[in-house]
Amino acid sequence: MSDSFSNQLSDQIKQAATEKRTLQITGNKTKVPQVSGIEEISLSENSGIVAYEPSELVITVKSGTKLTDLKAALAEHNQMLGFEPPDYGGSTIGGTYACALTGPSRPFRGVLRDFVLGTKMIDGRGQQLTFGGQMIKNVAGYDVSRMMAGSKGSMAVITELSLKVIPLVEEVTYCKEMPEDEAIVLMNKMAGTTLPLSGCAYYNGLFYYRVFGEHAEQDAMQCDNDIWLTLNPFQPKLEAGQKLWRVDTEGPAPSIPNTIAVGMCGQRRWVISDEAPAPYSTLWQSYFAPRHNDPDAISKIKAGLKQVFDPYNVFKPL
Amino acid sequence: MSVIQELIQTLPSGSVIADTEQCAPYECDGLSAYRQKPLAVVLPNNVEEVQTALQICKKHKTPVITRGSGTGLAGGALPLSEGIVLGLSKMNRILHIDPLARTAVLQPGVRNISVTQAVEPYGLYYAPDPSSQVACSIGGNVAENSGGVHCLKYGLTVHNVLSITVVNMEGDILVLDEKDDGIDLLALLNGSEGLLGVIVEVKVKLLPKPDTAQLVMAGFDSVSACADAVTSVLERGIIPAGLEMMDKFSIKAAEEYAQVGYPLDAEALLLCEVDGSFDQVKVDTQRIAKILERSGATTIKVSQNEAERIALWQGRKNAFPAVGRFSPDYYCMDGTIPRKRLAFVLEQIEKLSQKYQLEVANVFHAGDGNLHPLILYDANKPGELEQTEKFGAEILKLCLDVGGTITGEHGVGVEKLDSMCHQFATPELEIFHAIKAVFDDTELMNPGKAVPTLHRCAEVGQMHVHNNQLPFPELERF
Repeated sequence: MSDSFSNQLSDQIKQAATEKRTLQITGNKTKVPQVSGIEEISLSENSGIVAYEPSELVITVKSGTKLTDLKAALAEHNQMLGFEPPDYGGSTIGGTYACALTGPSRPFRGVLRDFVLGTKMIDGRGQQLTFGGQMIKNVAGYDVSRMMAGSKGSMAVITELSLKVIPLVEEVTYCKEMPEDEAIVLMNKMAGTTLPLSGCAYYNGLFYYRVFGEHAEQDAMQCDNDIWLTLNPFQPKLEAGQKLWRVDTEGPAPSIPNTIAVGMCGQRRWVISDEAPAPYSTLWQSYFAPRHNDPDAISKIKAGLKQVFDPYNVFKPL
Repeated sequence: MSVIQELIQTLPSGSVIADTEQCAPYECDGLSAYRQKPLAVVLPNNVEEVQTALQICKKHKTPVITRGSGTGLAGGALPLSEGIVLGLSKMNRILHIDPLARTAVLQPGVRNISVTQAVEPYGLYYAPDPSSQVACSIGGNVAENSGGVHCLKYGLTVHNVLSITVVNMEGDILVLDEKDDGIDLLALLNGSEGLLGVIVEVKVKLLPKPDTAQLVMAGFDSVSACADAVTSVLERGIIPAGLEMMDKFSIKAAEEYAQVGYPLDAEALLLCEVDGSFDQVKVDTQRIAKILERSGATTIKVSQNEAERIALWQGRKNAFPAVGRFSPDYYCMDGTIPRKRLAFVLEQIEKLSQKYQLEVANVFHAGDGNLHPLILYDANKPGELEQTEKFGAEILKLCLDVGGTITGEHGVGVEKLDSMCHQFATPELEIFHAIKAVFDDTELMNPGKAVPTLHRCAEVGQMHVHNNQLPFPELERF
């Protein structure tokens, strides 16, 4: 993949490694504020569609491509991204991948990395690497392309991604008033039926669910599809000092006190709390900061993998 | 004390097989052309015994080859003479089913099909269905990231696993969960072929059982017309649950074997199945039949009931044994290609078939581009196995040349080590070895499998095709 942009990045990384400097990888900076005083590797200009074969259900894009552009290109061929990424206003596909962000369709269609088929990247030595490919089925070599989803700029610079895409479907949203705990049970019961669901949530006293394709008449009010944009990305107004937690849990897990929204068929809860309300809680305000809450054996492995890809610590810490 | 003595002394009786004769059933997996008796076989009853066995092996620097049901087709579970086989068949309990959350927690030795059987009363099933599903184990499925005929719609194993518990060579227990933050170790372990850890528990996603399924069978007078028809179906936004193609040889073999009414005059046969709610299936079936008709199908048959649907599948499901009747042995390949190159690839395979004087039948998971050429040979004829392997390697190279991959679902094992040298360049292979070292710095877990040494690739020394960029793209290769 030696295009001039990648070659330039390789040189920049090699230079930084030699001089023991660190670099911060950025896209359109819609999620992570830039840290001042640290040299930037900007991918916002690295945008555009490299290859797109609608009938192969695969698109290959440069990492700085805006989600809006990517979605528009797919919509022209009646296709879409299966993982419904949140758009913070100009967000790129690379940044979305680096943060492993998936939207409301997750319980029904899968998480972002499920749709990743291949990546091109530049590691902390400045090596240009290719993993995976454009095939839906491919088990040659370790699945580095999927592993890197969620690496948040700590391992390598992602320059190109190949993604599986799915047919665009028309979706209808229904809603019903009910208590939260009842809604959580009901949404999970519904997900166990053949009703073609693509979203289940609970917000402000209403149970929302989204259906696509042929389905029977529903005993619920039809409402606006915009609710899914309110929840994805979920950006509630918080009072000073309030801590917002993203909690990932079992779909039918009981209600958590101070929950302000339930998404992903109960698998995601947004909770205001001073302390972590449950296992797999993430303090949302510092989602992008380095963290050290893994068990020791896993921390050791992650640190080891960081060394494999970024031995000179050019990129940000894990 | 030797490693065998220590294993026998430490583990409960019946957990260690050291007798050469009793080790015989473990000398190969589904790739039976390769055989090797192990030093011993250890059959742990629980996670603690797995930890103990690994610690003892580590102390004695004894390699460990983890094995599920031994149905793998790439020699991933081939023993080493100086290593033990760690068979997980006794750890075969379904630990927990949560019908409301639609999940099941399984020990690694649980057979794939028994998951679906156990959750059927709740109207649920486990989607990945490798053809060996009656025998293969869920732990092996994760290790190989197994596929099946329904991958296009329902994904591979990696898409259907929520969490796994792994024991590493130190005996440490690692829980890797989809909910974990940061780099995705769960995804990395899927398809890692027993090189990174021993999978001792798996939590899978269960799906609601579709209300119904319907199959459309269509014959075509050319492979390219059939491939184009597949493209048309997908372009129109239908994702069939199953989308299988067979070439003339396979049609003939399957029909003679199963007598299901496949059109013998067709050059290519398409089996297209949709599933879901009654309403959706009805609409989709009608649309598909129309699309196939417009794509020039010479015959079309739509299953009218469940018995008919199952009958029509019988031919395809028995394609391997049906083809096998024509020859003492056959060798199944597993390359994956962009669908639009199918007609070209089949033409080239035919040319190779003539070059090697070996017959080949093609069955194809058309939806996801996964090609299974079956090369017919006779292992008793001197040199024919070697010729078959060369033929197979050329097919895999061809898959790479058109932008595909050397293995869609069977894995690399020992079988495709040389082909890996073509698919990956040195820096990527070095990274793979370094990843292995992070998990297993002693190189004791299934050593020598899945990733070739750089030395081996240097010896293979054949043209390196990377990213479909041939060194001399202007030259015609065939």
